[in-house]
Amino acid sequence: MNIFLLALVIIVMGGILPLLTHRYMAFTKWVYLGITMIGCITGLFAIFSAPAKLQGMAWSCSWLHSFTLAFACDSLSFFFLIPIFLICPLAVIYSCAYFDKAENSIRTAVSFFCTNVLIAAMSLVTLAANILSFALVWELMSLSSYVLVMYDYEKAETRTAGYLYFLFAQAGALLIFAAFGVAFSQTGSMAFDQFATLPAEAKLVVFFIAFLGFGSKAGVFPLHVWLPHAHPAAPSHISAIMSGVMIKMGIYGILRIYFLLASGDLIIGQAVLVFGMVSGVLGVLYALGKDNFKKLLAYSSVENIGIILIGVGLGMIGTAKGNVSMAGFGFAGALLHVFNHSIFKSLLFFGAGAVIKKTGTSQVDHLGGLMKRMPIAGRTFLIGSVSISGLPPFSGFISEFLIYFAAFHGLKHNNITLLLIILAIISLTVIGGLASFCFTKVVGIVFLGEPRSGKAAQAGEGGRLLTLPMVILAGLCLTIGIFPENFIHLAFAGLTDIVKFGRVDTATIDTVSANLTLGSRLFILIFFVILLLRKLLYKNKEITKGPTWGCGFTQGTTRIQYTGTSYTRSVVDFFRPFTVIKETKVQLRKIFPGRTEYLRRIEDIAEVGLHRGLALPLLTLLGKFRWIQHGKVQLYIGYIILAISVLLLVSFI
Amino acid sequence: MESFFTIALALLLAPLFPGIILKVKAFFAGKKGPPLLIKYYTLLKLLQKGSVYSTSTTFVFKLGPIISCAGAMMILLFFPLGGMSPLVSFHGDVIVLFYILGLGRFFTIAAALDTASPFEGMGAAREAFFGTLAEASIFAILILFYRMTGALSFAEYFIGARSISMAGTAGALLLLVIVSLFMLLLTENSRVPVDDPATHLELTMIHEVMILDHSGPDLALIELGSFYKLFFYSAFIFLIIFPLKAEWGLFKVPLFFGGIGLVYVAIGLVESGMARFKMNLVPKFVLTSLVLVSFAAILTMEFIK
Repeated sequence: MNIFLLALVIIVMGGILPLLTHRYMAFTKWVYLGITMIGCITGLFAIFSAPAKLQGMAWSCSWLHSFTLAFACDSLSFFFLIPIFLICPLAVIYSCAYFDKAENSIRTAVSFFCTNVLIAAMSLVTLAANILSFALVWELMSLSSYVLVMYDYEKAETRTAGYLYFLFAQAGALLIFAAFGVAFSQTGSMAFDQFATLPAEAKLVVFFIAFLGFGSKAGVFPLHVWLPHAHPAAPSHISAIMSGVMIKMGIYGILRIYFLLASGDLIIGQAVLVFGMVSGVLGVLYALGKDNFKKLLAYSSVENIGIILIGVGLGMIGTAKGNVSMAGFGFAGALLHVFNHSIFKSLLFFGAGAVIKKTGTSQVDHLGGLMKRMPIAGRTFLIGSVSISGLPPFSGFISEFLIYFAAFHGLKHNNITLLLIILAIISLTVIGGLASFCFTKVVGIVFLGEPRSGKAAQAGEGGRLLTLPMVILAGLCLTIGIFPENFIHLAFAGLTDIVKFGRVDTATIDTVSANLTLGSRLFILIFFVILLLRKLLYKNKEITKGPTWGCGFTQGTTRIQYTGTSYTRSVVDFFRPFTVIKETKVQLRKIFPGRTEYLRRIEDIAEVGLHRGLALPLLTLLGKFRWIQHGKVQLYIGYIILAISVLLLVSFI
Repeated sequence: MESFFTIALALLLAPLFPGIILKVKAFFAGKKGPPLLIKYYTLLKLLQKGSVYSTSTTFVFKLGPIISCAGAMMILLFFPLGGMSPLVSFHGDVIVLFYILGLGRFFTIAAALDTASPFEGMGAAREAFFGTLAEASIFAILILFYRMTGALSFAEYFIGARSISMAGTAGALLLLVIVSLFMLLLTENSRVPVDDPATHLELTMIHEVMILDHSGPDLALIELGSFYKLFFYSAFIFLIIFPLKAEWGLFKVPLFFGGIGLVYVAIGLVESGMARFKMNLVPKFVLTSLVLVSFAAILTMEFIK
């Protein structure tokens, strides 16, 4: 434990330093980078040096004399700690290149400080072992990330996004604490390990309230509304940390509370599965419809949270039904997807950040042809896109395969479970298909083709610090795809302490990972054979360059290219009731037509629904009480006296 | 050894079969039609040529043909061609293989968008959309097969201990599968009535318009990949209709290739008798296949307890 605590102390110290020496930012940046890297590597060393004696890492301290803050580590915490210490240092490297304006030094220093507080808070969330310590570090995590989102606070949309995020974070925390309150009222103990003693009905109540709370952090549909606002507003590396690592804390919370409650109720698994399917399909659908680069990636996070929840739901159903391989592969697939998603989503956010920084626009339809101008960012982004579409031989496929495997093993059950699992498999397929649709759009429109605006035509590659994290992450995507064995074992290792009933035996896991390895390597072999063949076929052949064949049209411009909007039009139309399409168009009319215009916006039904169903009625209702706030000090003092006397009366009677 | 021989034979013969479709169509049109070996001539012609690359394109454009061809080849290695055990097979290989076909689609689409041509973008959008729907149908078929056999690999479907057959308890459900798989074959291989590669207008094509800019050996790889893919789907359908028994020995091989020829004849018949659908009818067509199979999968609740 000592080494781990030391790592956290180093990280926090590293964060404080820029606050003190922000005047010499150019120099401080390097020191900050160095200290944070040392801290994160120490953290990784601490958890990997003692994976067998994780329990030994528990420690507690008293706080304000009457409370105890307890922290403990088990295999689940261990697994969630890995992405924290892996992704965050890369984001920090990236941030040093991303924040390159000297005039913002104080703001940058605050951002550095909050980043490190966020890293420390997230790692403590995974370790918290009683209600109080969890609540404390959870709030610390929410608040520090809120400050990070507000980096560009002079922009109105950033303030709106930050406010929305704050609302969702606090409402979510409220629900989580409410769930803890219910548990506390039954057990009278702050410790997490007392949760298992709750009566069965209370377990359901606690789980579902906490699920809503954690779900709003994780971005489960329909509580994901803050995600697509906060991500475009925040700096790109912050989006990477938030989307890659922080929202996974919601998943951690769901898993933790589930395993603490140890409830065998089937309804829990079914509900989680349904939430997963809805988030997955609708998340990727909205991702398809979005024109803003980072908004699109934010919705894709909703989709991936959906995939993870499908895995979790399958695992829970498997547990309730006593189906060992379904439970094991479901949970392990979900965990591995948490890990994989943290890698490729941060890679994609880094790529998007580089593009936005170099071109100054985040509109997908204004970009194009960046593969030639930003070769490293383009190539790594392509790898990330293939991975996130869940295609072999990259990392995303490995975790999706495990989830499929769990689902197929659940098909032996009948009735409602069978129907749900059939739906789960079909939604996984649809999610996979739409994800490749969505990411062919991003790759094809942003990086391929010809530039659609002058800014895109003049863009260039970012510096080494900007591209290095992307190269590392892209390498990881490929490594997990080709050498999946260790990573699959790692995911199963994450389950060792928490899955109590039956475990998938090692032989089965070995066979599955060997098969997957065979599959990806065989494909790569065939690929290289054909590549070689192609080389031979092109030997001594004449290769010429020319313009794209315009089907007889000779006056082609870059404006006639397909855009993201036109590319996705038919599929967005197809899902009509779930996609609210707002169009403004000026079409050709009369003999001398003016310039045509077309603008499409796709509204999120959850956002529209929450706005109309909750926010507006609430505002109307609260507007009626506005007379209470009149600004007269005497009357406010009157309120206070009234409140005190009422309280005194109540406590005396 | 035998399976090695069958796979080599399949890889060599796959370009022969599309010639059958052309012959059948020519017969119904009252024409003589091109020679049966036409596709070999085309491949040979393409392989001898060089290429013209658009100045807009990048390396992604060259990856498209390689990956789509590699994927289609790989699926044949896992398939029990002629009822022989395949070269490689494992529990779960079907998921890997259909995802590898998906990878091929990803790169074909990316290559199309790489050319900056509005026509190719149009084709790419359609391919991505219909492909997504078709994938859902395919996985519905896998669900049904898992319910029937408890297996997740082509080898176990057709030559395993509980291989599928029309004579089994849930055999009647296979009729629905055959119809829906045939619809998928037409969709995934850009055949009439979903797509018509032979029209004169690029605006109305799906797959063919995406590969407009490919030329020479690159185009040959794409063509070869599409022959293998069509061959795989036909073999899939044929083995469901007519499972080959192990005791027939080497006689299975001519039977298998002959039977596949019949599937191609059926494709030719459909193409002769139908016109291409309007584009907005295609999703309904693909969804019909999904509904048929999902219906069958739900019916298994009664058939298989």
